[in-house]
Amino acid sequence: MSSASPSPAPTLDRRSFLKVSALAGGGLLVGTYFRFGSSTAMAQTLPAASGTFNPNVFISIAPSGAVTLIAPNSEMGQGAKTALPMIIAEELDVSWDKVTITQGDLNPAYGRQSAVGSGSTPGNYGPLRQAGATARAMLIEAAAQTWNVPARDCTTENGTVIHQASGRRLTYGELAAKAATLPVPTDVALKDPKDFKLLGTRVPGVDNEKIVTGQALYGIDQRLPGMVYAAYVKCPVFGGKAGDANLDEVKKLPGVLDAFVLNGITGLTSGVAVVADSTWHAFKAAEKLKVQWDQGPGVTQSSVDMAKQAESLGKAAPAPALPSGVKAVEAAYHYPFLAHATLEPQNCTALFKGGVMEMWCPSQVPGSGQRLVTQGLGLAAHDVVVHVTRLGGGFGRRGSNEFSLEVATIAKKMEGTPVKLTWSREHDFAHDNYRSNGWHFLQGGVDGAGQLVALHDSFVKMTGGPGDMAGGGFPFNAVPGSQVQSSKLTGSVPTGYWRAPGDNGNTWATQSFVDELAHAAGRDPLDFTLGLLAAVPGADSPGGPAGGRGGRGGGFAPPKMVTVLKLATEKAGWGKKLPRGQGQGLAVTHTNNAYVAIVADVTVSPQGVLKIQKLTAAVDAGQIINLSSAEAQVQGAMLDGLSAAWFQKITIEGGAAAQANFNDYPVLRMENSPPAVEVHFIKSLAPPTGLGEPGLPAAAPAVCNAIFAATGKRIRTLPFTDTDLKWA
Amino acid sequence: MSNLNLNVNGTVHSVDVTDDTPLLWVLRDTLGLIGTKYGCGIGECGACTVLRNGVAVKSCRLPLKSVGTAKITTIEGLATSGKLTAVQQAWCKLDVAQCGYCQGGQILCATALLTATPKPTDQDIDEAMSGNFCRCATYTRVRQAIHAAAGSTPAISP
Ligand code: FES
Ligand code: FES
Repeated sequence: MSSASPSPAPTLDRRSFLKVSALAGGGLLVGTYFRFGSSTAMAQTLPAASGTFNPNVFISIAPSGAVTLIAPNSEMGQGAKTALPMIIAEELDVSWDKVTITQGDLNPAYGRQSAVGSGSTPGNYGPLRQAGATARAMLIEAAAQTWNVPARDCTTENGTVIHQASGRRLTYGELAAKAATLPVPTDVALKDPKDFKLLGTRVPGVDNEKIVTGQALYGIDQRLPGMVYAAYVKCPVFGGKAGDANLDEVKKLPGVLDAFVLNGITGLTSGVAVVADSTWHAFKAAEKLKVQWDQGPGVTQSSVDMAKQAESLGKAAPAPALPSGVKAVEAAYHYPFLAHATLEPQNCTALFKGGVMEMWCPSQVPGSGQRLVTQGLGLAAHDVVVHVTRLGGGFGRRGSNEFSLEVATIAKKMEGTPVKLTWSREHDFAHDNYRSNGWHFLQGGVDGAGQLVALHDSFVKMTGGPGDMAGGGFPFNAVPGSQVQSSKLTGSVPTGYWRAPGDNGNTWATQSFVDELAHAAGRDPLDFTLGLLAAVPGADSPGGPAGGRGGRGGGFAPPKMVTVLKLATEKAGWGKKLPRGQGQGLAVTHTNNAYVAIVADVTVSPQGVLKIQKLTAAVDAGQIINLSSAEAQVQGAMLDGLSAAWFQKITIEGGAAAQANFNDYPVLRMENSPPAVEVHFIKSLAPPTGLGEPGLPAAAPAVCNAIFAATGKRIRTLPFTDTDLKWA
Repeated sequence: MSNLNLNVNGTVHSVDVTDDTPLLWVLRDTLGLIGTKYGCGIGECGACTVLRNGVAVKSCRLPLKSVGTAKITTIEGLATSGKLTAVQQAWCKLDVAQCGYCQGGQILCATALLTATPKPTDQDIDEAMSGNFCRCATYTRVRQAIHAAAGSTPAISP
C-alpha cells in the first residue's frame, strides 16, 4: 500500500483515493481518506486486497462477502465499539452477525475520535449513516449496471442486491470489485428511521467473548518483545517538583534497569522514572525512592480551609430580600472532590524507534495525547503513531493524557526498547484530575398559595476545570428574577471532567432543594415539579427548545421532561402511603440533551441503615442505537452516581489527596446495589443523544429525597455516610 | 530468587522470580496470562481473582511461595477446548460487561459460588460477590447472569 504523504489536515481528495485503489488492485476509497505518514499506521487500515470494496475508511467488503467495519471511538464500557458500527450496518443493510468490527487507531480520517461528553453517538450518527448509505448506493449501482436495469428498480437485503422485477440477486461480495470502480455519489438518501431494523434492538457487545475469556484488550495488557516496565513517581503535593533522589541505591534493587529524574519537558509533570524487568519490581523500587521534593506553595491547601473560604465567598453577597408574606427556605449543600478511580489504573505503552514513537494508549481522546507528545518531545504528528486500546473505565479520567507523555519521554530515553508504564493504584488516587468540590447556598421563597416565587443560588467551587453552574437552567428558569452567582476558591487542586461534569453534583443540590421547597409549600414533590416545569418559558411548545439551558444540554424542552417524569412516577407507583422508615423520592435532570426522571424507593432502619430497594428511570434520549448498552449505561450511571454520593470523598490535607486506595475510598458493591433497577425509554425517532452520562445526576437526589420521606432527615453534605440516618 | 513449579490452567510452569512476588504479577508479566487484572494490589477490588483448587482467591496478595502445588485456574483456563462455560455464556448473552475490566474476576467468583451453591439466593450472591466490586456498576446484570447460569453443570471440577 502506498503511504500518503503527511498532511496537516484531512481533506477529501478523490485523486489520492483512485491512485491508492489502483495500487491496491481494484479497491476504492472515497469520502474521507486516511492520511498517516507512517507505515505502522497504515498497517491497521482495512484490508484492501484485490477486488475489495472500500467505499470509505469505515467499510471494507471483500469478494468473499466479508464485511469489516471500523469503530472510530474508544471503548470504555459505554458501548461505542458496538453501537457506532451498528449505525453503519443499518444503512449499509448487512446482517450484523456477518460483520467484523475493528477498533480504529488514531486517524484524522475517522473524524470525531473523542469519547467524552456523551458525544460519540450524536457526533458520529450523521457521518456514519452517510458512510453506510453511500456504500449501499454504490453496490446497487454496480448491480444495476451488471443487469442493465435502472438502479431505482433494485433494492437490498442483508448484504444482497435484488432486482425486484426479475428476482435476480447479487451479493455485496460479488459486487465489490465492480463497485470499487464506480464514482462516489455525493447525495444519497438515508433510511427513514421508522424503517430501521437493527438500531433500537438489543445487540451484545462485540468483545464479549474476549472479555469472558480474558483476552488482551486493555492498555495495561500490552506486551511487546523485549518490553520493560516503568513506574513514574511525582510529588504527592500538587504542583511540586522533583529534586535529587537516591537513584544509585534504587538502581541496585532487584530487577531495576534504570532510574532517572525528569524535569523541564513541556507539559510533563516533573518526577522520577524507574524502569525494571517486571511491574512488581518497578513498583517495589518506586516505593524505595527517596526524593527531595520542592513541594511549592500548594502544600498549605486543605479541605478544612476550603470549607471556610467557601462559606465566606458564598455568603459575601446576600440574596435579594423576599417580598413580605413569603416564607423563606434556606439551605447550604456541599459535595466533595471525587477521584475517577477507573478500575484499570492509568498506563501507556510506547516504543521509540527510527524516529517514530509508536504508542498503545487507553485514552478517551487519543488526539490530545498525541499532541502532548509532539509538543513535549518535538516530534511531528505523523511520527507519533497511536493505537487505541480498550479502556478499563473512563468516566472522563482518560480525557487527560499525561500518561502518554510520561511513557513517551521514558521510551525516548530507552530508544529501541518498548516500555510499559503502569501507575500504581496509590499513584492513580494521588494524581487524578478530581471532580471539583462545590458549595451551594440556596434560598427560596414560597407564597401562601404554595407557589415558588423566589429562587437564588450562590455557588462556590475550586478554580479551574468544568462544573460551573449554568445560570438559567432548570429549576431557576421556572422562577422569574432568580439569581445564580458563582465564585471560585483560590488553590491549585487539579480538577477535570468527571462523568456528567457539573450536573453530577449540582443536580443533586438543586433537585434536593426543590424537594425541600415542595415540602415547605406543603405540596407533593411531583405536583410541585410539574408546576415548575409548566412555568418554564416555552413549556407549551411541544418538543421545541425553550430559552435557557437545563444542565449541560442545549435547548431545554419542558414537555419532554414532563413526559419522562410522568412515566417514571407511573411505573414506580408514585404516591403510595408508606410507613415511617420507607420512602419514595424523585428527581429529574437534563444532561447532554437527554431527559431523565428517576424515582427511588428506599428503606432506612431505625438504626439508620439505608437500603435502596428500587430505582425506576424514564429516559428520553432520542433514537436508541443499541437497547442493551443504552439500558446498561443508565443502570450503571445511576449506580455510579450513588456509589459516589453514598461513600466517596477525596479530602485534601497538606496539599495532597488523603485517600490512597479503595480501602479508604469505598465503591458500591453487590450488597448495596438495589435489587430492582428499571429503565424505561421513550420511543423516539429524534437523533440520538449520548447515554454515558445522563443517567447519573438524578440518582443521588432521588435517593436523598426518598430518605427524607422515610426519616425526615435531609442530607445536605456528601457522601451520605457523613450523615447519621438513625431515626428512632 | 526461587525456582518454583506452578500449576496454572492444567500446565506446570517453572518460574524464577523474587520470593515476595505476588501470584498476580507472575501470571501477568512472567506467564503472559493478562486476563488476571491489577486493580488495587491490596485485596479490595477482586480484579485479580483466580481459583485456587476451585476456591476464589485474590492473587495480588498471594506470595508465590504460598501457592505450592495448588491448582490455579485463571480466566483464560475456564473454557476448556474452546467451549464457554455456562457462566461465561450467561455473561455474553446478558451482555453483562461494560468496560469489562472486573469481569474476569466476577466470572471466577461466580463460578466458585455456583460450584459450592448451585442454586444461590440473592443473599448468597450478595455474600459471595462482595469482594469483587465493579467500577462500572454492572451489578444488576451480574446478578441476573448468576441466576441464569445457576443449576447448569458446575463450571469447573475443583
Ligand atoms: S488487585 Fe487484587 S484485590 Fe484488587
Ligand atoms: S465492567 Fe468496568 S469495572 Fe466492571
